[in-house]
Amino acid sequence: MRGIIMIKKIQSLFLSFALIITSFIGLGQVTTIAIADDFPSKPIEVVTHAGLGGGTDTTARMLLIRTRKNLKNNAYITPKKGDGGNKAMSYVKSKPRDGHTVLAITPTHLFRMARGGAALNIDDFVGVARTTVDPIVIFVNAKSPYKTIEDLIKAGNKKPIKYGGTNVGSVDHISGLIFAREAKTKIAFVPFEGGGAIMTNLVGAQIDAAGLNLDEGKDQLESGELRVLAVMADERLSALPDTPTLKEKGINASFATVRGVVVLKGTPPETIAKLEKGFLKAMAHPVYQNYLTGAGLDASSVAGSAAWDAEIKKIYKEARAALVSLGLAK
Amino acid sequence: MELISKITLILDLTTFLLILGSTIVGVLIGALPGLSSGMAIALLLPFTIYLEPNQAIAAMAALYCGGTFGGSITAILINAPGAPPAAATAFDGFPMAQNGQAGKALGMAAVSSVIGGIISLIVLIIFAPTLAKIAYKFGPPEYFALAIFGLSMLASISSKSPVKNLIGGLIGLFVATIGVHLTTGISRFTFSIDELFEGVSFVPVLIGLFAMSEIFVQASKSELLLERIKFSAIKLPSITEFKNCGKTILRSTGIGTFIGILPAEGGTVSAMIGYNEARRWSKNKENFGKGEIEGVAAPEAANNSATGGAMIPTLALGIPGSATTAVILGGFQIHGLRAGPYLFEQQPDLLYTIFYGMLLANFIFLIFGLLGAKIFSRISLIPRGFLWPSVFVFCLVGSYGLSQSMVDVYIMLISGVVGFFLRRSGFSPAPIIMGIVLGQLVENSLAQSIIIFDQNLFMFFTRPIAMTFFILTFLSLFYKPIKNLFTERKRI
Repeated sequence: MRGIIMIKKIQSLFLSFALIITSFIGLGQVTTIAIADDFPSKPIEVVTHAGLGGGTDTTARMLLIRTRKNLKNNAYITPKKGDGGNKAMSYVKSKPRDGHTVLAITPTHLFRMARGGAALNIDDFVGVARTTVDPIVIFVNAKSPYKTIEDLIKAGNKKPIKYGGTNVGSVDHISGLIFAREAKTKIAFVPFEGGGAIMTNLVGAQIDAAGLNLDEGKDQLESGELRVLAVMADERLSALPDTPTLKEKGINASFATVRGVVVLKGTPPETIAKLEKGFLKAMAHPVYQNYLTGAGLDASSVAGSAAWDAEIKKIYKEARAALVSLGLAK
Repeated sequence: MELISKITLILDLTTFLLILGSTIVGVLIGALPGLSSGMAIALLLPFTIYLEPNQAIAAMAALYCGGTFGGSITAILINAPGAPPAAATAFDGFPMAQNGQAGKALGMAAVSSVIGGIISLIVLIIFAPTLAKIAYKFGPPEYFALAIFGLSMLASISSKSPVKNLIGGLIGLFVATIGVHLTTGISRFTFSIDELFEGVSFVPVLIGLFAMSEIFVQASKSELLLERIKFSAIKLPSITEFKNCGKTILRSTGIGTFIGILPAEGGTVSAMIGYNEARRWSKNKENFGKGEIEGVAAPEAANNSATGGAMIPTLALGIPGSATTAVILGGFQIHGLRAGPYLFEQQPDLLYTIFYGMLLANFIFLIFGLLGAKIFSRISLIPRGFLWPSVFVFCLVGSYGLSQSMVDVYIMLISGVVGFFLRRSGFSPAPIIMGIVLGQLVENSLAQSIIIFDQNLFMFFTRPIAMTFFILTFLSLFYKPIKNLFTERKRI
């Protein structure tokens, strides 16, 4: 009998120990007020909105490898998944504006803000650096009768084009809708779980066309299973010199999957400059450049604070106008 | 034979040690609930730039193999599947451990995992470019039919009452509807909780339903006298037992390799369907869910053969066959490599390194698993009062660690309480898990099919693969009543 009592005692000891640990997990973070001069005075936190191993996560990790050395400081990634980047934004909002918290931003965040009701506003951010740029390319199956973008537009007028993309409200979806509106044609949007699924369904001829990043369909393009019709960019891609842009065709729809880093407005300008320098130097290093090449991206993906800041504001403005005109935001 | 001569690729000391280390790390990470091999590879990616590309990719592939096997250890010993693909292993593995057969369950898991893993690797190296094309044949209608086929076994997935199994399945399907709907963008049952927009995370639910509810079950028993410790628990399965499971292992390997190739599905669905089919064809149907050794062999062979299967489209087409292979593809990018048809033509050395790396990983975890079984199975000898409180800590850390979110911890606790009461009223967690695993697939693929078919559901008749699955579903549901009808007629 005594043995059992002993065990029960130990059991309750274990339980209370576990409870203490749990309560510690929930404890708040220690906030320190830092002066710009001694930046960085603690490790830099990069907040992402996506799961481990995805494009955003991998890009951020590759960026940090050399950034740590350049800033002589540690840096780590905090994933905050939820509500199209809104969770990440509200987390960043709770942090001091001292440059130690950096948000990895994508069109997902910008579209989420443009829909309204997000934790932060576009004016709350200052762009620090652009990390990748990946224009959306319109792909069709190589066996399909659509040889040019005009063929596709014409076909869409008879019967809506089955156009694949990622989830509803994403840059894929909006770009498809804007393309249809500007080109005066019709699409039936088919959402898929990711780029790989879109590509397989296009090769399998389940859908007529899709907006993909070049890399997502590159192998199938080279093996002759897919065909590119147009690029949603202002200028032709160096990798696809013969593929027209929509702009050339008089269709005003330029969209890209861009990624970059931002900090909250109010962060001292010297701090932003230090961060920018650290990031840019890291991205010039072969470690990051090899990654870009491997992902099928151009070295011109990288841009500094001024250019990136202007770009996110431009994308936001366009996203907002597009969502309002489509009736998806007020 | 080019293939055999290429074994030298992994025979240098660094590569060998890397694969050995990655496999063991994989097994341990796979065993810890909430830590997955995909996550480990993602975290280690940036460090692999200092390795040779071939070594780095082989190490990642080995970690993937080890991680898939590792999940079974905790599933069997403490009813906390270390990773989602091991969920089905807990159905019979944990009851076996409770019956004092932990060693048998672990030994069977190791052997069937290795058989499944190796056969799927051989399929990979010989048939990958041809088989990868299956991925293109599977559109939303085919996935829908496959999911329906899987769901058709809901009523009989556990030996509990069929009605309760169906209700459990519906609960699972309901949980799968939480979040933003794929084709309409409408959020359902999210109650403005940001974390729920992308759906309820599967791992916390899994940990809650299995391990947490088990803690409550154990706690409610604590008044009873301590059970006599069974030293037979560390015994490994006998040769006859292995032989008896041979058919099940082969069937599951086929299922696992095939489902692994499909980009949208991987080890978890393979293991579920492998378990279902094992039960369907088994002579000891009633024993399933109570500690049937075939019920351990089937999901383990299936989920490990799905690793080889998942590598097929990943390497041959550059399309990830599972969440972990998606991260491995990220590894290709970091090293400036490309998967796809080019790999087979231009980089055969890389391909062979991956093949041998995974093969070696399978042998390593076989040895580790069999030797370890004797040691790990002693966990089932630890007095409950010590074991379960520590499992509780695992549950908390495991559900928090995944995305560092307290919401996941609450989901785990709620699932634990719900699971406890459901189990008390005679429900099995198996159909609930099945409903969650297949719920999103069945709904999304139907919604996509409807758009593709221009709202005309009769178009399903134009899809031979989908129709095959529908016919199989029909037969599995109505085979018995029809057979009974005929036998009755004869009697008259």
